Amino acid sequence: MSGRISLFVSLPRRRYHPYAAYTGKQEFLQLPGPRMVHRPRLTRARLLAGLLVAGASVFAAGVSAQSDEEGFAIEHETIRARCAACHLPDSEGRMSRISFERKTPEGWQGSLQRMISLNGVTLAPEEAREIVKYLSDHQGLAPEELRPGLFEVEKRMIDHRYEADTDVEFTCIQCHSMGRVITQRRTREEWELLMSTHRGYYPLADFQAFLRMGPTPDQPGPDGEPPDTRQPMERAVDHLSEVFPLHTPEWAAWSATMRPPRLEGTWVLSGHQPGRGAAYGTVTMGDGGEQDAFVTRASYTHPATGETVTRRGRGLVYTGYQWRGRSFESDEADGAMREVMVVERGMNEIAGRWFRGDYDEIGMDVRLTRLAGSPVVAGVHPHALQLGGGEREVRIFGAGFADDVGPGDVDLGPGLTVNRVVSASSEEIALNVTLAPDAVPGGRDVFVGGASLAQGVVVHDGIDRIQVLPRTGMARVGGIVFPKGYQQFEAVAFDDGPDGRPSSDDDLELGPIEVEWSLEEYAATFDDNDIEYVGSIDQTGLFVPAVDGPNPDRDRNRNNVGDVWVVATLAQDDNGDRPLRARAHLVVTVPLYLLFDAGANVSTGASPDPAASPNGRGNRTPGPGPGMGGNPK
Amino acid sequence: MALKPINRKADRMVTYLANQGDVPPAEQMAGPVDPAAANAGADENAEDVVALGGRLPEIPEIPHIPLGCSLVFAPGWEVDEAGGTAGLCQPVERDLFDCHLACFWPAHVPDQLNHSPDWTGKCAAAQNDWRKLEMIFP
Repeated sequence: MSGRISLFVSLPRRRYHPYAAYTGKQEFLQLPGPRMVHRPRLTRARLLAGLLVAGASVFAAGVSAQSDEEGFAIEHETIRARCAACHLPDSEGRMSRISFERKTPEGWQGSLQRMISLNGVTLAPEEAREIVKYLSDHQGLAPEELRPGLFEVEKRMIDHRYEADTDVEFTCIQCHSMGRVITQRRTREEWELLMSTHRGYYPLADFQAFLRMGPTPDQPGPDGEPPDTRQPMERAVDHLSEVFPLHTPEWAAWSATMRPPRLEGTWVLSGHQPGRGAAYGTVTMGDGGEQDAFVTRASYTHPATGETVTRRGRGLVYTGYQWRGRSFESDEADGAMREVMVVERGMNEIAGRWFRGDYDEIGMDVRLTRLAGSPVVAGVHPHALQLGGGEREVRIFGAGFADDVGPGDVDLGPGLTVNRVVSASSEEIALNVTLAPDAVPGGRDVFVGGASLAQGVVVHDGIDRIQVLPRTGMARVGGIVFPKGYQQFEAVAFDDGPDGRPSSDDDLELGPIEVEWSLEEYAATFDDNDIEYVGSIDQTGLFVPAVDGPNPDRDRNRNNVGDVWVVATLAQDDNGDRPLRARAHLVVTVPLYLLFDAGANVSTGASPDPAASPNGRGNRTPGPGPGMGGNPK
Repeated sequence: MALKPINRKADRMVTYLANQGDVPPAEQMAGPVDPAAANAGADENAEDVVALGGRLPEIPEIPHIPLGCSLVFAPGWEVDEAGGTAGLCQPVERDLFDCHLACFWPAHVPDQLNHSPDWTGKCAAAQNDWRKLEMIFP
């Protein structure tokens, strides 16, 4: 691969925009091009030096606990019995290293897995679950601390930027997401030991990110301040110790109020899955037989496709609010999904993401609202109502609706007249509605029998533009040996709003829309014809990459990698408008050959669609994640 | 040698750069064109670039790398310094041994020092035997 460091570049290098080289800024002119970047050879001398410098810290678990008094006493018998051989407890019950960190359940599970794979620890699955649960509860993150890093545990592909210190970000993201960093809290000594652990296990980290490769700066910076002569890793320790310390007011406050959650009952589900659209339904939670554990039954509908899904599963709540669950569509584990959600304060809202686990990129945003007496409106289909035309049917989804609901019980807002109730059940009301020709475009709050939904429907006078989401996507070739990485795209429609100008604040988002999907060449290299090799996109917007391995039909046996535009086209049939087009950049790239994923157990395969898989499960099969609770009972 | 703007839009940009700081960029670009300035160096018959279909063109946001929790870097395993795949070492199989032995991509390729010392044991030449490699879960 193209090297990611250069001995010829004065570090610390700033993370730069891929196109910034064209700005002519001096700092970018100093950067070598891809052909000039060389990886340093890992000589034995360098390796030995790295090991000598850092190796002692990797195996430092046996030293006595840190001298400060910040650590947490550990009272869990299994931890003390199984970990004390290396992590010596002190007179206060604090165990070296362990007592001086706080992490997410995934973070603690990752530590356990490293102990098992590299340090010879043997644990029964029940013991591992106990340990992860205890440490997550007693040394976890407060909700406010976790929120900026939720994308990490929810496996979201978002455009994340760490603004607090871009140099520290650059140091960390050389090998992993910044999400791993911001979901941890440590003492300063622990951050230093973490750095040493990295250097011991991966000696090349010194050359890749941790040490400055150029001369020590000796000139004042642009701000006139003396030059920062710290090594990048020293700067990282200083920064992380300051912003992510072991003890915080947030954790102290949450620790004081944290309690076992009471989630039994019925919840109204409102979700969105790219490619399938909105989802509405209910989730029923029952006692899971142990503290913080619950069993679930979910039933929901995708109105856009008419698909109805029923799931049953099991979940465990860590740290009083972190839901980790797993559910299936049948006893045979079809359609397995991992559930990562946050129980909001008040325990009346739960929100997060359900995703395949085998294919994290396939997932659904989910919000659950507790059904407690009064009805709850989850959503309206169709969400966008265009002016013109006669009567139409509108369906309201939710729970707790009265069976005898009448037209007068439903208020869709100005310009929308409910003529009659076509059908009604406790979870869905179908209405016959007339939209006045002179209705003012804009969102409408929806009221049903005392319940409401803000901006439940939107009135518009036509689609003015469409947008493809995500704006930048990534897929990985695979299917022969290594798993494919898919990319689901979605087209969203907009009305330009009262000012008639696109991309202004008064634009009306009309929601996902059916379009024609196609690929176009992204002209990165002349005549490389990526489009012929990278894969295909279906009419649901799902890009399916081509197979892995060298392709003898390509120049120099290139893999089926490449850059393409994903193009959405909407044929306009009113006002004589031309078709609307929008596009997104898609990078189809190489596989991953290892996966630091606590819950995944990947075999090779070809499809994220259970129905298209020979065994009905897709081919990447998820294993139990942190406290996933195994199979549902 | 000075560049001559070939249309009104280019001329406005030249004018703006020449007077940078006098006029806020957004106002300059969005407001009415000063005819004198517009015609100072450009062909009078030249037209601004207009959007197809009469609408302003949608300008896709330039890809930002990395993408959240993905393992994308600039330059990196997935993309080159330009944010694409053209500059990657290809095919990837020819570089796997080096990546493995040097532990250069510890989050992408199994490392020889710790997690997978024998990862390439069944694979004498990755370009031919890549099917014998296995996915590793450290």
